[in-house]
Amino acid sequence: MQVFKLCLMIIYKNKATLLIYIVIFMVVSSFMSSVSAKEMEDSTSFKPVKTEVAFFSDEDTPLINGFREELADVANFVDIPDETVALQDALYYREVSCIIRVPEGFTKKFMNGENVQLEKISIPNSTKNVHIDLFIDKYFNTARLYVQNMEGITQQELVRYLKKDLSETVSTEMVEDEKKTSDMASAKYSLNFFAYPLLSVIIMGMGTLMLIFNDRDLKMRNNCSPVSSTSISMQFVLGNLVFTFLSWLIMLIICLAMNFRNIFSPNTVFHIAGSFVFAFCCSGISFFIGNLTNSHEAVTAAANVASLGLSFISGVFVPQELIGSSVLKAASFTPTYWYVRANNTIADLTVFSYEALKPVLNDFLIIIGFGLAFFSASLAIRKAKTND
Amino acid sequence: MFIHVFAYRMKILLHHRETIFWTMFFPLILATFFNMALSNLGSTEKFSPIDIAVVDNEQYRQNANLRLTLAEVSEGDDRLFNLSVVSAEEADKMLKNNKIDGYIVAERPIKLVVNKSGLNQSIIKSFADNYMHTVSATENILARDPSKIQNHISSIEDRVNYIRDVSSSGAEPNTVLAYFYSLLAMACLYGGFIGVREISDIQADISPVAARVNIAPVHKLKTFLYSSMASVTIHIAEMMILLAYLIFVLKVDFGTKTALVLLTTVIGSIAGFSFGSFISAVTKKSEGFKVAVLLSITMACCFLAGMMSQDVKYIILKNAPALLYVNPANLLTDAFFSLYYYDTYTKFLTNITILTGFIVVFCTVTYLIIRRRKYASI
Repeated sequence: MQVFKLCLMIIYKNKATLLIYIVIFMVVSSFMSSVSAKEMEDSTSFKPVKTEVAFFSDEDTPLINGFREELADVANFVDIPDETVALQDALYYREVSCIIRVPEGFTKKFMNGENVQLEKISIPNSTKNVHIDLFIDKYFNTARLYVQNMEGITQQELVRYLKKDLSETVSTEMVEDEKKTSDMASAKYSLNFFAYPLLSVIIMGMGTLMLIFNDRDLKMRNNCSPVSSTSISMQFVLGNLVFTFLSWLIMLIICLAMNFRNIFSPNTVFHIAGSFVFAFCCSGISFFIGNLTNSHEAVTAAANVASLGLSFISGVFVPQELIGSSVLKAASFTPTYWYVRANNTIADLTVFSYEALKPVLNDFLIIIGFGLAFFSASLAIRKAKTND
Repeated sequence: MFIHVFAYRMKILLHHRETIFWTMFFPLILATFFNMALSNLGSTEKFSPIDIAVVDNEQYRQNANLRLTLAEVSEGDDRLFNLSVVSAEEADKMLKNNKIDGYIVAERPIKLVVNKSGLNQSIIKSFADNYMHTVSATENILARDPSKIQNHISSIEDRVNYIRDVSSSGAEPNTVLAYFYSLLAMACLYGGFIGVREISDIQADISPVAARVNIAPVHKLKTFLYSSMASVTIHIAEMMILLAYLIFVLKVDFGTKTALVLLTTVIGSIAGFSFGSFISAVTKKSEGFKVAVLLSITMACCFLAGMMSQDVKYIILKNAPALLYVNPANLLTDAFFSLYYYDTYTKFLTNITILTGFIVVFCTVTYLIIRRRKYASI
């Protein structure tokens, strides 16, 4: 088993490069799981969503104070200094979704029935904006009804009426969603992200191995050794598979450790199966790339371009729902797309019947098909190269 | 002499495929991927009409007011809802299949059925509440003076807009752009690859080319200066290609201050080159090691500047803002961003001044290390 041992030794020597990807993976998954853990609160009663708002008023009147008090039902007030750059920054980083300013003389004009407006700076066309707009619109339009139809109404009276009116709300019923919502969300993200380091590590590792074995002198030396070429090939393939398996296992353990909360659900079993199938496909891709490249620099370049490219277009970094349909169509010609799709379907599964699992199994078969295609293509290239 | 060194250095660099790949093609490829993956990101917070249903029961048919109000907000391009009028069973089914965000049942009081507490659901609720408030206000007003009925109806009908949208600056606070700016910053710092080569090629104990250059009867600093000029020229040309690709092909908005954007790119390119030279001069190991150091620092800088996630930059901005000013990738990203976003030049000037300071420091240290170096034996 000299060849097999050599494979493992070469990989061991290159461990630093491969470790970088594993470290990146750990950092990102821990970051992501901590972020999504916060979003996991799920409740059975309806809670209106609040929007972050910066509120500035150039006047202090009962009407505006009443408005501010009611606005608190739909808004969280954020304190930011009233300076252009600070306001622009707050808006850019989404610290606030809009900035409302009450100009001086607003109340007086409003009570006189004149046309007045609040100033609002916001992220154009955002949904949160619509939410706040609706509120402002309903508050002042309701107030206007009183001002126009009750002569001599005071601000205090007006605010009192409005308070009563605004307490009349529709009854809200929450129906239970059958789907489990966000509980698998963080696991799903980590598992999707899994595709990137797995591809990088396997392409880099296999590429390095193949470079060394394809070296002309070394090849000639190996060919004259008293070991049959079949045995050399078999040991080489075994070495590659062991490497693929180990990389997959190490990263899988990290991934599961980061998402230990969900580890005991049946979904996890299918996630693991999916990642294993994908690891096989990665091994095919790397075998293919290894056959096409002839220098260490080329392997690094190919590993980066292939892993980043496949990951970007198929929804590894950015969720598939946010990617344009034409990009996704192109992505469906890559295995990563099917891997991510299978993961997304698995995360939403609650029933594990054959019917429910059918789309997942189909995706798995497609990934295996890609893997086999890459292996066959590489063998064809090898054959062509030997004939040259 | 200048032309000789300059021209040959150009030739050498242009023939070095690996360097050209990392400094030019890799950023171009990455920009293309960014464009594919991020082009829809901005649309997630954009408002699009909410799908709702209303149950077609007896009360709904009799409630002309509600029907009219719903019809009004479900028409036109800037409509609030995509409304379907369906039976109760159908509405239930639609909600279950996530075809709608919620449905309204015209009872007294009006009932809203949803399946989660989201922003869209809150908007539907806010709308339905509004209807209730008008009803309540009507009762209050008419209780006090029933003769106002006609007047009141006409007040309800002419709704007034109480909001005036004021723009904070000429530019939209588009977060996706920052990813491209930090990508351009990364590409500028990748000029460091050329810087590393430049220093390696004058250190006789590191490369054979350097050994040959060292025995030539030319002042070493002059050769270095000339060949550095060739390197910087190539990198600036690469950055201009990238910038053109971003602006004309990917349609990334850099704002209107084009001359300053070009200037920033040139300064960024020089900063990248001097940074690479600096790293190469202070680390006295093989070129592979120098590249690894350069790459890790560049990547860490880009990560902290928000290239992978804007949240990272925001966390730093809130907790350790000083860190933003010692990170060259961030200084560049912010410089591009300030040109696009702010009306004033204060932030831009601060960033560019600090970045220029970095260039001076890098160049001085590099000079102090490489000057007068002699090789007794290699």
